[in-house]
Amino acid sequence: MGKRNVIFYITMGKLYRVNVTLKKPGSKLEHQGIKIEFVGQIELYYDRGNHHEFTSLVKELARPGELIQNTLYAFEFLNVEKPFESYTGSNVRLRYFLRVTVVRRLSDVVKELDIVVHTLSCYPDMNNSIKMEVGIEDCLHIEFEYNKSKYHLKDVIVGKIYFLLVRIKIKNMEIAIIKRETTGSGPNTFTENETIAKYEIMDGAPVRGESIPIRVFLAGYDLTPSMRDINKKFSVRYYLNLVLMDEEDRRYFKQQEITLWRKGEKTRKNLQTSPSPQLLVTGGAESFIPAHNHSSDPQDPAGTIEDMKQDTNEEEHSSKMTVQTADAHGDACSTNLTADGMDE
Amino acid sequence: MPMTPQLSPVEEQERLLDEALSVVKIQALQMKRCLDRSKLMDGLKHASTMLGELRTSLLSPKSYYELYMAITDELRHLEFYLFDEFQKGRKVADLYELVQYAGNIVPRLYLLITVGLVYIKTNTCLKRNLLKDMVEMCRGVQHPLRGLFLRNYLLQCTRNVLPDVAEPGDESEGSVRDSIDFILMNFAEMNKLWVRMQHQGHSRDRERREREREELRILVGTNLVRLSQLETVNLDKYKKLVLPGILEQAVSCRDAIAQEYLMECIIQVFPDEFHLQTLHAFLKSCAELQLGVNVKNIIISLIDRLATFSQRADASVGTTGIPSDVRLFDVFSDQVSTIIQSRQDMPPEDIVALQVSLVNLAHKCYPDRVDYVDKVLLTTLQIFQKLNTDRIEYNSPVSRELTRLMKIPVDNYNSLLTILQLQHYGPLLDLFDYHGRKNLAAYLVNNALDNETQIPTQEQVDAVLTMLSSLIQDQLDQPPGEEDPEDFAEEQGLLGRFIHHLRSDIPDQQYLILSTARKHFGAGAKRRIKYTLPPIVFQAYQLAFKYRALRNEDEMWEKKCQKIFQFCHQTITALITAELAELPLRLFLQGAIAVGLMEFENYETVAYEFMSQAFSLYEDEISDSKAQLAAITLIAATFEQMSCFSEENHEPLRTQCALAASKLLKKPDQCRGVATCSHLFWSGKRASTGGKEMRDGKRVLECLKKGVRIGNQCMDPSVQVQLFVELLNHYIYFYEKDNEQVSVQVLNQLIGKIREELPNLEANEETEQINKHFTNTLEHLRNRLESPESEGLSYEGLIL
Repeated sequence: MGKRNVIFYITMGKLYRVNVTLKKPGSKLEHQGIKIEFVGQIELYYDRGNHHEFTSLVKELARPGELIQNTLYAFEFLNVEKPFESYTGSNVRLRYFLRVTVVRRLSDVVKELDIVVHTLSCYPDMNNSIKMEVGIEDCLHIEFEYNKSKYHLKDVIVGKIYFLLVRIKIKNMEIAIIKRETTGSGPNTFTENETIAKYEIMDGAPVRGESIPIRVFLAGYDLTPSMRDINKKFSVRYYLNLVLMDEEDRRYFKQQEITLWRKGEKTRKNLQTSPSPQLLVTGGAESFIPAHNHSSDPQDPAGTIEDMKQDTNEEEHSSKMTVQTADAHGDACSTNLTADGMDE
Repeated sequence: MPMTPQLSPVEEQERLLDEALSVVKIQALQMKRCLDRSKLMDGLKHASTMLGELRTSLLSPKSYYELYMAITDELRHLEFYLFDEFQKGRKVADLYELVQYAGNIVPRLYLLITVGLVYIKTNTCLKRNLLKDMVEMCRGVQHPLRGLFLRNYLLQCTRNVLPDVAEPGDESEGSVRDSIDFILMNFAEMNKLWVRMQHQGHSRDRERREREREELRILVGTNLVRLSQLETVNLDKYKKLVLPGILEQAVSCRDAIAQEYLMECIIQVFPDEFHLQTLHAFLKSCAELQLGVNVKNIIISLIDRLATFSQRADASVGTTGIPSDVRLFDVFSDQVSTIIQSRQDMPPEDIVALQVSLVNLAHKCYPDRVDYVDKVLLTTLQIFQKLNTDRIEYNSPVSRELTRLMKIPVDNYNSLLTILQLQHYGPLLDLFDYHGRKNLAAYLVNNALDNETQIPTQEQVDAVLTMLSSLIQDQLDQPPGEEDPEDFAEEQGLLGRFIHHLRSDIPDQQYLILSTARKHFGAGAKRRIKYTLPPIVFQAYQLAFKYRALRNEDEMWEKKCQKIFQFCHQTITALITAELAELPLRLFLQGAIAVGLMEFENYETVAYEFMSQAFSLYEDEISDSKAQLAAITLIAATFEQMSCFSEENHEPLRTQCALAASKLLKKPDQCRGVATCSHLFWSGKRASTGGKEMRDGKRVLECLKKGVRIGNQCMDPSVQVQLFVELLNHYIYFYEKDNEQVSVQVLNQLIGKIREELPNLEANEETEQINKHFTNTLEHLRNRLESPESEGLSYEGLIL
């Protein structure tokens, strides 16, 4: 009942203010003090009621006494630590909020206000392309390249798939963006995979020597920056999953982690107002290595061949199976590929 | 449960297409509604759903094409809408990016191209980069059918916006160079997709697949058409960019169907002026094509085009033909031989067909370069040597091609003399088997006859006749068995006519020609020489007359004439050896007349020899009574004409004639022969009396009386009367010629006799004729009686 007597207005202008309004002007409100808190906390859904506060600051707005009229309290939190970005996932939530409490003898009057925090980053110093040769021996060998390993949320993934060996009848190829949220630790680790986007990049069966362009705009998807071991409670990671589907609906895929980061608005705005659309030839020009230079530098760590996974099940991650061990080399498979896909 | 009827493949296609089209109809309608209400994003969503129909794998190329047409037709609404909006300044930000969120690649790329085109049209400075981007992004569709149509859409959309300026005014708007790169890349990708179709699916469907590929080839070819429509592509750009790009793709795709089509396409879509300057590159690529490719057709097609071009250019004033720096023939010749070398499995008829086209080229572009034609013949000869072919069977494919090759120079030059300049014509001709050679030889002869070609030297005659030997002499490879006699006669008749074309205006040369001809034809066996030697003899007689006409200029003429008649004598004797009689007899008689007019030293002896030869032929060789009568009549007639004999020679000859006539077997023949010989005693001429007629009336009468006596001995009254009528005519002749031995009384006697016998004859056609003859004779006499000539001769006392 008491709560209903008070309305708070928290004004987030240059000057932060709390306006405590009495519902019935003229009446009195007795209190034990009024305080405002700034809280940053992580809520794990399986562990309700047990919130992990990583930031908590308190400011006293009024000493115990009586409120007889609407009162405006100015407040300020200086140099607040906001180490993490707000996040709402399937098993975890990270939130910041302001809480005003009018302390009373029986029940406090409380008002909370959520604050969204974005962690802005600068252009990463190191941003290598992801380049890798993968395959299944005597079956399929491809080299793929994404122009970066770190993308901001409005970025464009530009890349290329180069087919070194094709002996399966490929139906199509897509790129999926997978979000992997990991919560808890030890035996209580929960992992939740969510496919954010599925994007077909190739239709039909290529032959050896084909190179297929990739261009995926990220801005249209609901993405967050990558989060690593946030307060030892959870992580959010992003993967690009390159999936090839053959005519018998077998899936061959390779996941590659990418780092997402949030770019400062200002620079982003500049990018948006640029007159020309994002094109392969202009936007992709940065460090784009033509795919047919696939005989990669041995010192380049990305040049090693890795296995792809083959998955016969519809459920992408339930039964991964490695088809072939890892010592296959690209050259060993460069036998006549033109015969592939020909008449039986 | 109702049974679902099994649908035929065609019906199944129709059903699938109908379903797809109905989705298109619905989605297109909704798209347009959304656009009308300016709900662009919803409109795009419907467009995308509509385009999703193009993801199908179930449709045949034909049905897919229909679907494609329906959908692209609807897409134009979207394009117009966007263009309008952009024109009005209501530019939708990041539209090019927005359409790329479509999850499926096929709809996404169709939208990308549609929007890209609107961008280019409204903001030309994006042109260069957008074109590159679109053609690059299309790589994502690797499915042949879907990829081909997508890229076709790209090509259709961009056809009016491709930069076509030599130098870019604004770098970002691009130049023709960018257009070339754009189309070449699209072309290469489309061609790869098209070729890939060949290798998909079961081998049992191969035929169907190839048929479908044929249906789709135009999509690939459109790229080349587009390239040819770029106006700023000059020769230099064509040579350095366009052609190498196309050829590189054509050769490297290693697909026979594609190669054949593309090479043909190049020939057809680009101008001849370009072809002329890029022959090397083009032909070099031809040599590198797959073995299954019919290179022959490609080369022939190109040659025909250039040859026509050259003729067209020659015909129209002001245009330049083949530039002098383009050595068209040499280039083709070299490259064709490279092609032949590189294609070991090429059937010989195709090799020859290539040579045929080379000869055509030489004729059409270099009509006076006989050496070019000869070079082709040499090459052909060498090819057969390399193939170890020493006989080409008649009517085999290669024989037909080679015949074609050999006929071209004949038809073009219309001169056997020019053919003789082709040194390798003869050797090549020798490769044919008997029938082939004979066939061509007859063709050559006919050509010479039609064009009245004269062969004026001994050497040429020798060469020609060597070439025609299959007609002239028996051949080693001649198949046994008789030929059709009519065909044979016709063919030998041709040769007979041809001999009259072996002719020089210089008599000495003509003599050499004839002896050469005699050598060739003389070896022709008896079945041929009866056709071929007589013309030679007649030619020789004519030559003798020519020498005589030139007797004041050539002091050797007499010797030469003598030699000619010796030659004739030998030639005629050759016919006798071949068991012929009447023919040599006639030739001797003809020769005797000729000699008689010559008046060279010793000519009487020669003439006598000819006459006596005729007599001995008569006596030894002619046994048929009819033939005998004809022969003796001919001999007598010939002898009557001649005036070269002295009494010493004349007497035995005329007596011999009369004797021979009276010795004929049948009475009627005797009668007629004697009557004929009577003239020898009247108008026969002797050199000793200066060529005057003998007019020995007594001997004439003796002959005629003998005739009447023989006539009386005939049993058949009809024949008898006929003979009397004929004798009456002889009498009248001599009477009118003032033979005093013939009197009116004799005439009356004979007329009376005929009158007496005539009514007794059976009435039939023969009698009718005899009667008519008689009546006409009497009519003649009556005329003479009624209007006697002023001087002398009167029929006084004649009883009619």
